[in-house]
Amino acid sequence: MDNAKELFGYDSLAFFGKVSASISHELKNVMAIISETAGLLGDLSDMAATGKPIAPDMLRNCTDSIVEEIQRGFSTIRQMNRFAHSVDTPVVSVNLMETLDLTINLSEYLSTSGKTDLSPCEGFTPIALTCPFLLQAIFYETLVYTFKHTGPGTEISISIQPTDGSAWRITFSGFNFSEFHVFPDVITKALAASIGVIIYADSTADQLGMDVPITIESLMVHPVSPDIPNMGNASSTRA
Amino acid sequence: MKVLLVDDEEKFALMLAKRLELRGIQTAVFFSGEQALATVQQGDRFDVAILDVKMPGIGGIELKQRLVQLDERMKFVFLTGHGSTIDNTAAVQEAENYLPKPLQIDVLIEALNRLTEEP
Repeated sequence: MDNAKELFGYDSLAFFGKVSASISHELKNVMAIISETAGLLGDLSDMAATGKPIAPDMLRNCTDSIVEEIQRGFSTIRQMNRFAHSVDTPVVSVNLMETLDLTINLSEYLSTSGKTDLSPCEGFTPIALTCPFLLQAIFYETLVYTFKHTGPGTEISISIQPTDGSAWRITFSGFNFSEFHVFPDVITKALAASIGVIIYADSTADQLGMDVPITIESLMVHPVSPDIPNMGNASSTRA
Repeated sequence: MKVLLVDDEEKFALMLAKRLELRGIQTAVFFSGEQALATVQQGDRFDVAILDVKMPGIGGIELKQRLVQLDERMKFVFLTGHGSTIDNTAAVQEAENYLPKPLQIDVLIEALNRLTEEP
């Protein structure tokens, strides 16, 4: 796929920057907690030096906190590493569960993030030949937009199902769809169109659906319209 | 001195509160802007509010604007882990003091003392 690298334009670069900024913020929070805990240990040492008694539990809490934050930092760095490597190969076979899992983890670094429930796939493995980086961008924007308009208390349910053998259908539910009359935005719509992903809006069931082609080569055979069909009319709008 | 500390990073807020308490500063900790707003609405008063800029729900900048309506004498310090120009500009415009995370406790104490000594 010689033209695959052309998939990466300014919008995808902006997405990369946005996620990198949220990761750096997360790491800064980790460092801030370690810094305060180390500072508290210093305060306690100063107290001990003047003969004041220090409760052992207080020291234990401090060391436990530092260990926990270091683990949190390592976990964040692992996600950052997975994300950074998602641009290594523009088009590759990916497991959609793994891509969704990474995207969910990345979205959790945002202050507006809520909870997600990713249903396991029973009896099938959702593999697709696609651009993992752009797919992440589409998933990410969907989650960010959902949380932004529904609040941090929301739990989004996500599931994957096979369709007619040409695509995987990913469904986002658990929110009031009336908040989404402007989603997907122009940029997400263009990103989706560039890799043949079709986003469906089902206001009656309060769901967002996405059909991810099993192979991106279908783009060459069936040019994808950027227009967003309604889920209820899906059969008539998909050529 | 009585301080209102609001930060959604719970561990950070609790550690900082402990350090302030060890220095004789009475500190009330809240993990959301909504909780902090409610306590001031109920009549609790503080000399200085230390606010995180980015929080779910009511962020630090909006919280300051609403707290001022309840107690115009309250002073403010902003904390932020973000380094964006937008955040910095907003914080500088809205607060008497703006301190980036990880912060230095001595710098914070100096800011608190300066604010409470002002007429």
